Amino acid sequence: MNDKSENNDDTIEEGIPDRPLECSECKKNIAVCYTEMIGDAVTYTSMCADCPELQRRLCGVPIHHPGSSQEENAALACGNCGTTLESLRVGGPVGCSGCYELFNDILVSEMLASKKIAPRAGKAKKSLPIHIGRAPGESMTMNPTLRLLALNEALSETIKSEDYEQAAWLRDQIKALTENPENNDDDKR
Amino acid sequence: MTTKGKHDFQFLKQKKPWNEDPNPIWLASTISLQRNVEKFNFPGKLSTDRKQQIVGLICQKMLSIEGLTNPTFIKAEDIGLIEKEFIVEHFLSTHGYKEAFKGEGFIFDDSGEFLAILNVRDHIHMQLIDCTGELENTWSRLVKIETTLGKSLNYAFLPKFGFLTADPTECGTGLLATVYLQLSTLIHTGKIEEILDKYLDESLHVSGLQGSPTEIIGDILMIRNNYTFGVTEESIISSLRAVTTKLIVEEHSMRNKIKKEGNIDFKDKISRAYGILIHSYQIEAIEALNALSLIKLGVEMNWITQIDNRQINELFFNCRRAHLLCLCNEEKIDNVELAHKRAEMIHKALKKVKLEI
Repeated sequence: MNDKSENNDDTIEEGIPDRPLECSECKKNIAVCYTEMIGDAVTYTSMCADCPELQRRLCGVPIHHPGSSQEENAALACGNCGTTLESLRVGGPVGCSGCYELFNDILVSEMLASKKIAPRAGKAKKSLPIHIGRAPGESMTMNPTLRLLALNEALSETIKSEDYEQAAWLRDQIKALTENPENNDDDKR
Repeated sequence: MTTKGKHDFQFLKQKKPWNEDPNPIWLASTISLQRNVEKFNFPGKLSTDRKQQIVGLICQKMLSIEGLTNPTFIKAEDIGLIEKEFIVEHFLSTHGYKEAFKGEGFIFDDSGEFLAILNVRDHIHMQLIDCTGELENTWSRLVKIETTLGKSLNYAFLPKFGFLTADPTECGTGLLATVYLQLSTLIHTGKIEEILDKYLDESLHVSGLQGSPTEIIGDILMIRNNYTFGVTEESIISSLRAVTTKLIVEEHSMRNKIKKEGNIDFKDKISRAYGILIHSYQIEAIEALNALSLIKLGVEMNWITQIDNRQINELFFNCRRAHLLCLCNEEKIDNVELAHKRAEMIHKALKKVKLEI
């Protein structure tokens, strides 16, 4: 194992940029390089942050996926594009729109587990749609004073901490923004 | 469909959006939207033929929409590895496009600020880079392009999941907004962790320039939204704006303090950075970027004169490999030779610069 990995290093041609290291389970960038030495045997494992392999090594047990009986679902695959549940579980991409309908709740619970849904939406009632943003064709206008709001919030904090020099600097910026309305003029659609 | 070949890639090399950026802390921001076309499988599950078909469809619509000035499509197979790396550097992308090939491609426009990547992960990844601190307006500009395109092209969408993306963690809004801040003094004084703990909530994610969570290059922190799903676009932009404003205030306050007390440690750091840049025979990109960040700080402290932020920004981008290779205009340079070329280029640019400590 040891020798083999050294050889691999040697064969990387000079001049050709190194590919980023990838998780050995999926193709995400790695977060952890795990080296295990048992007696003379050394094994290397590259794992991404959400790697089931990482969970297994950290916790010693396979991770439990709530809301699905794993055995039954393991062979589930999308009839349209062939994406399997197994590949999704290891962080593989979704293959088509049909996958979203097929793996519906499983995808949601996977994303909840890896904390990729905004917490407020994740806790909402199941019947409500999780997506709260625009739909196709809809346009949304941004509150044009967003930047002013942020500056004002920062201003009140600096005043609270009695940092008057910063406060003056922030006031100048607020003044510049309010005096030149074209700077924060929202595009008219 | 207008397609342009290798020669026409030159125009992107002339574009320098960061040259307009006088801000010493806010380096840039990028806004991107991920979209897929209805009824087609996502790129990972498409044959090359089908991919080319989609590219044709998207180009037909996108190359004629309002909001883009003279958009140009470049096929991925028509440009080399260096050009693909150049795109990554120019648009501060976190993903590489080295493997992009047949049936994949890029659309640019005359501004040098717009990039659409076709069929790499999603059918369309459209992005704007802005260096003037106009996060909200940049978002508006991009949404305008997106909705205009959406009039003639149906996006894959489900009410529950929002816009559908190949990476399920990017569905919903499909919006990634990133701000690049140069928080040099907070980083060098070791205050940064405390400050980030104080202001950052779970909605935002911080990493180094190339997406690495631990390696900070050129004192740049990349702050990006953590969620695209279950949030509105406005809340993504507003929390990013609120947090970055506070970080900038902290950095500004620390810079004032250092300037006032004529901090010895920083005088030393900046002098050394100057020494490295002026006297190296060969220099690696990361070392150069780190030193340039200190030079930028030195300019703000009035400890370094005869150069401004725009020139340093230009140097900052030109130091990176693909930009440097394009500057050298040579097809093949090995890494050792390139490190020497980089040092030479920096010497030239800093020739008149004076250290006044």
